[in-house]
Amino acid sequence: MKRQDPPWKVVRAFALPASGRLVHLHNVSGGVLAGDRLELNVQVEAGAAAQITTTGATRLYRHRAGATDSEQHATFSVGDASLLEYLPDPVIPYAGSRHLQRTEIRLGCGSTLFWWEILAPGRLAAGERFAFQRLRVQTEVYAGPRPVLREDFLLEPEKKDLSATARMFDYSHIASLCAIQEGRPPAFWRTLEDQWNEIARARSRPKRAVWGASALVSDGVIVRGLSGSGCGLHDTLVEFWRTARLAITGADAVPPRKVY
Amino acid sequence: MMPLPMREIGLLRLLHLADSALPIGSTAHSFGLETVADERDLTPEGVQTFLRAYLEEGGALEAIFVRRSSEGGALQALSEELSARKPARESREASLKLGRRFAELVNGLLEHPFLETNLHCCVAFGAAGAALGMPVDAVVLAYLNQSVAGLVSACQRLMPLGQVAASRILWNLKPAIVQASHAEEALCFSPYLELASMRHGSLETRLFIS
Repeated sequence: MKRQDPPWKVVRAFALPASGRLVHLHNVSGGVLAGDRLELNVQVEAGAAAQITTTGATRLYRHRAGATDSEQHATFSVGDASLLEYLPDPVIPYAGSRHLQRTEIRLGCGSTLFWWEILAPGRLAAGERFAFQRLRVQTEVYAGPRPVLREDFLLEPEKKDLSATARMFDYSHIASLCAIQEGRPPAFWRTLEDQWNEIARARSRPKRAVWGASALVSDGVIVRGLSGSGCGLHDTLVEFWRTARLAITGADAVPPRKVY
Repeated sequence: MMPLPMREIGLLRLLHLADSALPIGSTAHSFGLETVADERDLTPEGVQTFLRAYLEEGGALEAIFVRRSSEGGALQALSEELSARKPARESREASLKLGRRFAELVNGLLEHPFLETNLHCCVAFGAAGAALGMPVDAVVLAYLNQSVAGLVSACQRLMPLGQVAASRILWNLKPAIVQASHAEEALCFSPYLELASMRHGSLETRLFIS
């Protein structure tokens, strides 16, 4: 770890059972405030293995008049034949928050990525559901020079109905997991897509949760889930992750030890 | 001899390429709508509202790529970027398949290999529209109009939606089509429809390829 500035703090690396290191990212301020601009730059060197998680949900606090929107920019460079497992806790946009999240991941030759993301609708227990003002999420993942996943969406619940059937329908939480390894052939990903869709069918419950998987344009697969609550999301993501990790690396996943 | 009215010919040819009856196989694709209809999450009464939201998201995204293509963007790069923005495999492959058949048709009509055959349909359409000398706005509008018409046609085969009702839906969606055509950023948030496309292969019976 070359540099850390408040509010970020990196908890020391722990050795993982097989190989690699587990690192916890901690935001000591307790959340992201209006005007904050957080930057995270991670470089996994060739041949290395890293698992990165957080110590808690990313809480996006209410916007303050006169301040700029909060921003979080994360860039990951995953060296040749290395492994990155980026497994953050959910993002919870509080009522009135305005935030930009930008993530860029670049994979080297033969390198592997497992990355999940969960977006919550707000503090449901406090009655918040899509009460944030604005949430923009931009994602770019490259396998070598090839773009394999690009997303850019803007959620402004007061302007566009998120419960529209063409958007989230009746669901409140959205979860995604990508499994990518640069250089694997398309047939491998179609097989993994089929395996993931078997799990997706088993885990889907009408009007409660729905899951689906798909091979990306190249080099990987994605599974997406919509759910009416945060309960069970992590368990389901772990099941997808374990299946993919075994298929791609030959070794089972080791979830970070925490209570979800 | 009177000069040929090239602008009028260009317009007619643009309308020709935007005709829902263009023989490129578009009627075989629902882009996930079949799953949504199968689960009773889309009814005839909700089609117009559904498509309005679709235009704000997926429609606006494709409008951006029609526009960039029509304005002379690098077609392969545009198509590769759009592939990365379409994570659902069936819908992505459907778009590329239609793009291939569209390009083959246009190349045949022109008797010249004008378009590459591995482009997304919206990218190929934009390039074709530019080649006809049509204004970019017109090309984008034509593409969106035929795209929505195709989805309405799919709905007619998936649920009891009559011809007159379908015609009224398309008529009423014109303002939303215009609005989508003016999209300035490649934004799209459509997870439920995306999931529907991912899950389409699991349906017990299917009318559509996607």
